[in-house]
Amino acid sequence: MLISKNWLNEYVELDMPLEQLVEKLTMSGLNHDGTTIVGADVALDLEVTSNRADCLGHIGVAREVATLFGKPLNIPNPQPKTNGQPIEARCRVTIENPTACFRYTARVITGVKVGPSPVWMQQRLQALGIGIVNNIVDVTNYVMFECGQPLHAFDFQKISSGQIVVRNAKAAEKIRAIDHREYELAPTTCVIADAKLPLALGGVMGGADSEVIDTTVDVLIEAAYFEQLSIRNTARALNLHSPSSFRFERDIDSANLDWASRRCCELILKTAGGELLDGIIDVGTRPENPQPVTLRFGQLKRILGIDVPRDFIAPTLVSLGLTIERNLADSITVIPPSWRKDLTREVDLIEEVGRVYGYDKVPDTAAVPMAASFRPAADRVLDRVRGVLTAAGFDEAVTASLVPQVWSETFSPWSDSPPLRSSQPMLGVLEKASQNIGAVDLLRRSLVPSLLEVRRINDYRSNDQVELFETAKVYLPQSGHQLPDQPTKLALVSCRDYYTVKGLIESLVAVVAPATKLNWHACQIALLDLARSGELRIGTEIFGWLGEVAPAGRKQFGLRGEATVCEIDLSLLTKHAVLIPRHQNQSLFPPVSRDFNFIVENAVHWADLETTVRAAAGPWLEQVLYRETFRDEKKDGPTKKRLLLSVVLRSETGTLTGQQADEVCQRIIGQCAVVHAAALSS
Amino acid sequence: MSVDAMPIGHFVQQLDDLARAAAAAFQSADNAEQLDAARIEFLGAKNGQFKTVSKNLAAVAATDKRIAGQKLNSVKSEIELAFDAAQNRITVSSGGPQRDPKFDPTLPGQRLRIGRLHPITQTINELKDIMGRLGFTPAEGPEIEDDWHNFEALNIPAAHPARDPLDNFYLSVAQTCAGVPADGGHQKSVVATNHPWLLRSQTSTVQIRVMETTKPPVRIISLGRVYRPDTADWSHYPMFHQIEGLMVDDHVSLADLKTVLKLFATSYLGNAVPIRIRPSFFPFTEPSVEADYYWDGKWVEFGGAGIVDPNVLRSVGYDPEQVSGFAFGLGIERLCMIRHQITDIRYLFTNDVRFLRQF
Repeated sequence: MLISKNWLNEYVELDMPLEQLVEKLTMSGLNHDGTTIVGADVALDLEVTSNRADCLGHIGVAREVATLFGKPLNIPNPQPKTNGQPIEARCRVTIENPTACFRYTARVITGVKVGPSPVWMQQRLQALGIGIVNNIVDVTNYVMFECGQPLHAFDFQKISSGQIVVRNAKAAEKIRAIDHREYELAPTTCVIADAKLPLALGGVMGGADSEVIDTTVDVLIEAAYFEQLSIRNTARALNLHSPSSFRFERDIDSANLDWASRRCCELILKTAGGELLDGIIDVGTRPENPQPVTLRFGQLKRILGIDVPRDFIAPTLVSLGLTIERNLADSITVIPPSWRKDLTREVDLIEEVGRVYGYDKVPDTAAVPMAASFRPAADRVLDRVRGVLTAAGFDEAVTASLVPQVWSETFSPWSDSPPLRSSQPMLGVLEKASQNIGAVDLLRRSLVPSLLEVRRINDYRSNDQVELFETAKVYLPQSGHQLPDQPTKLALVSCRDYYTVKGLIESLVAVVAPATKLNWHACQIALLDLARSGELRIGTEIFGWLGEVAPAGRKQFGLRGEATVCEIDLSLLTKHAVLIPRHQNQSLFPPVSRDFNFIVENAVHWADLETTVRAAAGPWLEQVLYRETFRDEKKDGPTKKRLLLSVVLRSETGTLTGQQADEVCQRIIGQCAVVHAAALSS
Repeated sequence: MSVDAMPIGHFVQQLDDLARAAAAAFQSADNAEQLDAARIEFLGAKNGQFKTVSKNLAAVAATDKRIAGQKLNSVKSEIELAFDAAQNRITVSSGGPQRDPKFDPTLPGQRLRIGRLHPITQTINELKDIMGRLGFTPAEGPEIEDDWHNFEALNIPAAHPARDPLDNFYLSVAQTCAGVPADGGHQKSVVATNHPWLLRSQTSTVQIRVMETTKPPVRIISLGRVYRPDTADWSHYPMFHQIEGLMVDDHVSLADLKTVLKLFATSYLGNAVPIRIRPSFFPFTEPSVEADYYWDGKWVEFGGAGIVDPNVLRSVGYDPEQVSGFAFGLGIERLCMIRHQITDIRYLFTNDVRFLRQF
């Protein structure tokens, strides 16, 4: 809200330095955003919060200044003279949509002489950046910026039969507004019409056909009270925001309609002449009287943390326009003014007293008691996960939670349910090259497609070593009325191959959940290479998926090189995490290592052979180490392979002898022969 | 004992004499040639004096052999040390050790590629860390919320502009009741039902969830992603991050809030900075304030805060006559961008690795 200093000075004496004025206003709730010199005047830009519609006029700001500096406030008392002819004989108003228009008042002035408004008025409006039109329109604007009540002047002769009808727009009704653009009206739009046609968008903008122009002789002055939501919807639907709609959206002082109307007429008579018809048309509901509110003085200290002197409280509230109903030793009961609808509770009064007294008097050295804080297990796990991944050369990405449909369909192993859809898309979040792939309005069920897009962007920019991970929630619909399941996942995309990424995941699990064994299961996911992919499980629970992106997937995402992706469930990892490992004694006796070279069918998986070896090895087993896979078709035929491995044995109670180790080897060889038809290479 | 056994004393004497003679010879050598000659004389592998004397070990009586062997070894080390010392002396006097000219120590080391945490994560970690020291425990909640937790319980009534469908990501969901094929073909808006879902527009939702299930005292921070449908530009993104603090106890006042904000700003900025609070407006706090810190000669906006509105306390079953609390909220991106002088918020979400690797 721009405030003209000269104008403000009309209601309250501004003898303080400007700096002190804006500082005090800032510190009491009207944040000073800047000062502009406009001719001989200065315009102060004050931020008005949405609860303080009373400060959307100079008088409201003047009242704040008067309270802050202990000065009297001078508000004009307009008493325009009438010509004695009753308005009722010339004009009628009906409200057909009382939920959108609560109250409507009209006064009529006949025989005005339209021309330029006086220089002093023009200067004040110009200080606020308001366009100058003529002495009638300028006055309506002037009074709006004076008291916050929007007003509208109609050319009275353009109102058919002098009849105003406040109603909702009819089907396919159109109006040309004073910006000379045509607007098609929705049936919820509140219009001011005459007996036939809509004349104005109620509370938003006047119509071109009834606007006051040079030839206008008689004017009707509207001061009305429109409902906030209705105005907001109309202004938004038509993208037509005016100082008037801005004020109605924040709620105006409905008890002030008559004052604003009188003030407007008084100034028109003064600047454009004419005669005011006697009386006012006033239809609709009158505002209810504000209810008294009691402030217990003890609550000031409880909420503000400071003692406010008793004799500061009542004068402050009175200066702000509240009326004292009872002033007792430990409390005060007051009635808020009609323009302060934000004051309905004790705590509202505490804020009033506090903000005027000054929050600078609130100490920043209170003795806040100490309290223990905790780091949730999920947080600790996340820290370790991030530590491992950064150590492995992965950079962390953060990508948007909404994705376009093509990405959503590409990879969704966690859920087959259709993704949740937002009622509106995210705008401007896709890179240029991806902007034609569709609306970004689906809640993602996997992080992988987003990371593949990041990989594409980096490939396109010729960045090397693009290794990325992200930890974020995915959104999985559930049946019934439960909120969607929103578990946190870790996804990564790497330029390296299946085994490297698998090794990374194994290392990660070894760090966070050392005792946990990962099991591989076959999976069939279109995005991934059928052989070089798999589902990972911990016990019977699904931990995630891992695989090299198949050529089709690389093409879909425009990747320049190979990519391996993985997505795992962090809550399952957290469940198995060992955050405080227990010490275990280490054997001081030397290990014994034995190598094996088994010839097996290609179909024998390492994981199965390893399980057999482990089971056969017995209690001295320390490690089973995979060494190499080797094929010799000439010797073994095309269906066989050789698996080379080492077994490390160690006892906690003594040095193992060669004979003891050999016995273990024989058991392993025997079991592998039985279970896997594994032959030892000669 | 055999008659021709050499007495141990004799053997030791020979060794001591040898050590002395060798040390003297090494010391008197003036250049590398002389030293090498002395080395061959005393330490020569074939006919060196040490080799010769050490053969006498065989003649020492068996019972003395262990001691004689130890003496032999210690004298050998003594002579070698003397040689090393002499060699050092000569090398230094001849202009220092010679570098291997084929080795280029200025070649780059074999660097490990260490990944970086996203600057948003780094900022969040720092804020969590600071607030943790002040006794605030992190709390998490769902990002898809119902309007009770996102609005109603936060004293934001149905007509409030903040609830406008255009200002929020409300969800339309397929009716996924059991038995109905969820083909996604007939999406139905849930905005009209009792508690429509939306992507949370603030992390205060978590405060409501914590208070609904916890009795006071409460001291938490909630943080994470929040969503508002702004078109992405240099200063807006439809998704961003917030951190919010909440403290509820028997006697929590604006002074406690100001104190915690002061400690917070001091920790974050690294030294004691002046802070101020000035009146503002939020539906869920009363009084509401805006907090600023003084930095580089001007007041910088820090975040919104206030005393928890009695309506909010009542909505979670707390008695506002018995307890009071403060809440504050900060935008992570703003703090992160100011701290790292990032000029366009979109850089944060494009994830160009050259951008990420700066932090």
